[in-house]
Amino acid sequence: MKNRKHSLTKHTKEIAIRNLFGFFAFLSVLLFGLILVFLFREGLPLFKQISVTDFLFGTAWYPTYEPPEYGIWPLIVGSLAVTFFACLIAVPLGILSAVYIAEIAPGGIKEILKSVIELLAGLPSVVLGFFGMVIVGPWLQETFDLPTGLNIMNAAVMLAIMAIPTISSISEDALYAVPREFKEASYALGATKYETIIRVIIPAALSGISTAVILGMARAIGETMVVLMVAGGAAAIPESIFDAVRPMTASIAAEMGEAPFRSGHYHALFATGIVLFVITLAFNLIADYISNRFRETGSGTL
Amino acid sequence: MEKDFIVRTKNVDFFYGAFRALSDVTVDFEKNKVTALIGPSGCGKSTLLRLLNRMNDLIDGTRVEGEILLEGRNIYAPDVDPVEIRQRIGMVFQKPNPFPKSIYNNITYAPKLSGIVDSEEIEALVEESLRQAVLWDEVKDILTKSAMTLSGGQQQRLCIARALAMKPDVILMDEPSSALDPISTAKIEELIDTLKKHYTIIIVTHNMQQAARISEYTGFFYLGKLIEFNATEKIFTNPDVKQTEDYITGRFG
Amino acid sequence: MRSRYFKQRLFFGAVRLSALVITLALLGILAYILAHGFRAITWEFLTQSPTDSMTKGGIMPAIVGTLYLTVGAILVALPLGVVSAIFLTEYAKQGALSRIIRVGVNCLAGVPSVVFGLFGLGFFVVFLKFGSSILAGALTLGILILPTIIGAAEEALKAVPQTFREASLALGVSKWNTIFRIVLPSALPGILTGAILGVGRAAGETAPIMFTAAAFFTAVLPKSIFDEVMALPYHIYVLATAGTHIEETRPLQYGTVLVLIALVLGIDLIAIIMRSMFRRNKRW
Repeated sequence: MKNRKHSLTKHTKEIAIRNLFGFFAFLSVLLFGLILVFLFREGLPLFKQISVTDFLFGTAWYPTYEPPEYGIWPLIVGSLAVTFFACLIAVPLGILSAVYIAEIAPGGIKEILKSVIELLAGLPSVVLGFFGMVIVGPWLQETFDLPTGLNIMNAAVMLAIMAIPTISSISEDALYAVPREFKEASYALGATKYETIIRVIIPAALSGISTAVILGMARAIGETMVVLMVAGGAAAIPESIFDAVRPMTASIAAEMGEAPFRSGHYHALFATGIVLFVITLAFNLIADYISNRFRETGSGTL
Repeated sequence: MEKDFIVRTKNVDFFYGAFRALSDVTVDFEKNKVTALIGPSGCGKSTLLRLLNRMNDLIDGTRVEGEILLEGRNIYAPDVDPVEIRQRIGMVFQKPNPFPKSIYNNITYAPKLSGIVDSEEIEALVEESLRQAVLWDEVKDILTKSAMTLSGGQQQRLCIARALAMKPDVILMDEPSSALDPISTAKIEELIDTLKKHYTIIIVTHNMQQAARISEYTGFFYLGKLIEFNATEKIFTNPDVKQTEDYITGRFG
Repeated sequence: MRSRYFKQRLFFGAVRLSALVITLALLGILAYILAHGFRAITWEFLTQSPTDSMTKGGIMPAIVGTLYLTVGAILVALPLGVVSAIFLTEYAKQGALSRIIRVGVNCLAGVPSVVFGLFGLGFFVVFLKFGSSILAGALTLGILILPTIIGAAEEALKAVPQTFREASLALGVSKWNTIFRIVLPSALPGILTGAILGVGRAAGETAPIMFTAAAFFTAVLPKSIFDEVMALPYHIYVLATAGTHIEETRPLQYGTVLVLIALVLGIDLIAIIMRSMFRRNKRW
């Protein structure tokens, strides 16, 4: 063929394209680094004013008083409290629904339920926050005769709805990945379906299910709008699940609009962002570690 | 008359990671002849075929030693572009693999990318390639239909036509009829017989009768080594090596 | 034997119950919002600006704002995501670089949305001096959905049969042309599905745009990408928490929630339907 282009220029073009694509792909890493850089750039100046310990473990969050106090311990406790109770609801529901989808549900119902969970994952958090405010809040207030229905309980229920899709869909993948031979071997030994699920399938999928739970928790702890709208907003250490709290995310979202630019308050909110970032990063890295280990050892971990 | 060898390999070794898939393969392929490569599965025959147009480049962690010459030029030399080699050495795969495009676009895809823009030239190329692959009469009225609607045998002939459209010098065939029914297989074999007037064909087959029917030369591979290379007639009647005879007569363990 | 089956029945009961609870939660929320919201939905509500300190009127600026932000986000994330996925699946399957990139993408996916908001504020609004604007908000949302797009595009590219790549390369077609003309078109439906899901996600996010793009109230529509905009999710938050007439504006709130849900779940539904259609029509 006559029109064949000179091969060397073609070759250089290929390499150029590869490198260009590599650069753009690397942008994700750069962006992640950039997030770190800018969180620290805006957050670290706080520690010229107070120590890290006073910040993390101080029990008073009065950022607009004179003199201001920037102890985020109540906020951390608030985040942990709503996440913990949300998981109490979301973990069993998420795992059981995954078992239902993966092992028990007949074809049609399975597809419907998968769509339900996908749509649930798609519900904007502000919608769930709104629902918690107008429905769950008043109901809690009336039923338990509380001063406010905006509290840990309410936030936990709404957060659970946000975390269920994460837990359910990742657990489902893990259950599907269990080799058929395991199940068949169990049935062939005369085990019932229940025994097979509990003793063979779930243990074999355990690392995947753990990943699901951890990622669900990370989702709950990083969620903003729900806790901003329904957790009640009190920056105090709670004593019961009907107390109002102010999780870290809610504090950032509520106060950033009013914090004067590069004031102590502004820096304190960014510093809170750093804490939040570190916690969720740790959760994600643990989940990543578990799922990678799982991949390496495969099904031999039973 | 001096024989004209278009592709020659010299002491070729090939490694997948630490595994040596080919050792010390030296073989010459004569121009405008059909050469068959036979042997039990895993013997390295397909590996050698894929080395000839650098398709093994696509697999990570592989390494080639020795030389493979196309008309005297080492195709593994650093300044050689594999794309250019593949334009001159076409390939037909075991399973028909047309693109999910129309029949017409399957043929024109590669020629257009190689720089042919003249639409009359393209039209002519489509007809010529399809005629050479004995598919023209069956598809001339449905050129815009998806290639996926053709039967398996038709798809394989389309894949051959697609390779022919690049006017290669050599066509590599990797068990091209193993996924086809006997009638389609017979058509492909007939086709190979007519194609050798213009092309050099190197075909891997697990079917010894096929090798005997269609090829002039046969190479027998076993455990990554070329055990014997000879005229097909000689291999199937009076092979030089005992191992070859054992394999051909089915006494192979 | 009987007790074994009793346990099984108990367990299956719990499993079915959990599925039922989840389904009812979704249906309950949707039904409640629909029942309270649909009366607010009028032509005027959808096409007018808020009036009387946002106690009356419509939500048109918020709808428009959300569209701008969402389209902007996808314009940022789609090309970047597809190019990244091509690099990861076609060019560097293994190796240190792709491992680093994968870890980066995973980490990015785990960053809480409010932290994206902080980043957008610190980087786009303050450092790059975009101000609170469509540009800053769209870029922030774009980065937020980037991991989703990369994941979806990677999956779609991996689903393209290897034989297509081999067939093209064996014809002496360059790698770039093989990717661009064979692999990418085959993966396109999957990539688009992922992109649509990303759009749905971006449309519903509030925290990332609170400090980067969203305005409490604007009487006029934005004129440039450096203007602030109203957005549906933020508008809901504002009406439900910050107004002086929270109870009075409930109908407006329900209406806005309904519009947002219809938008987001409508987008998701399109993606889900598209995906099942492509799966059925797949020719390889």
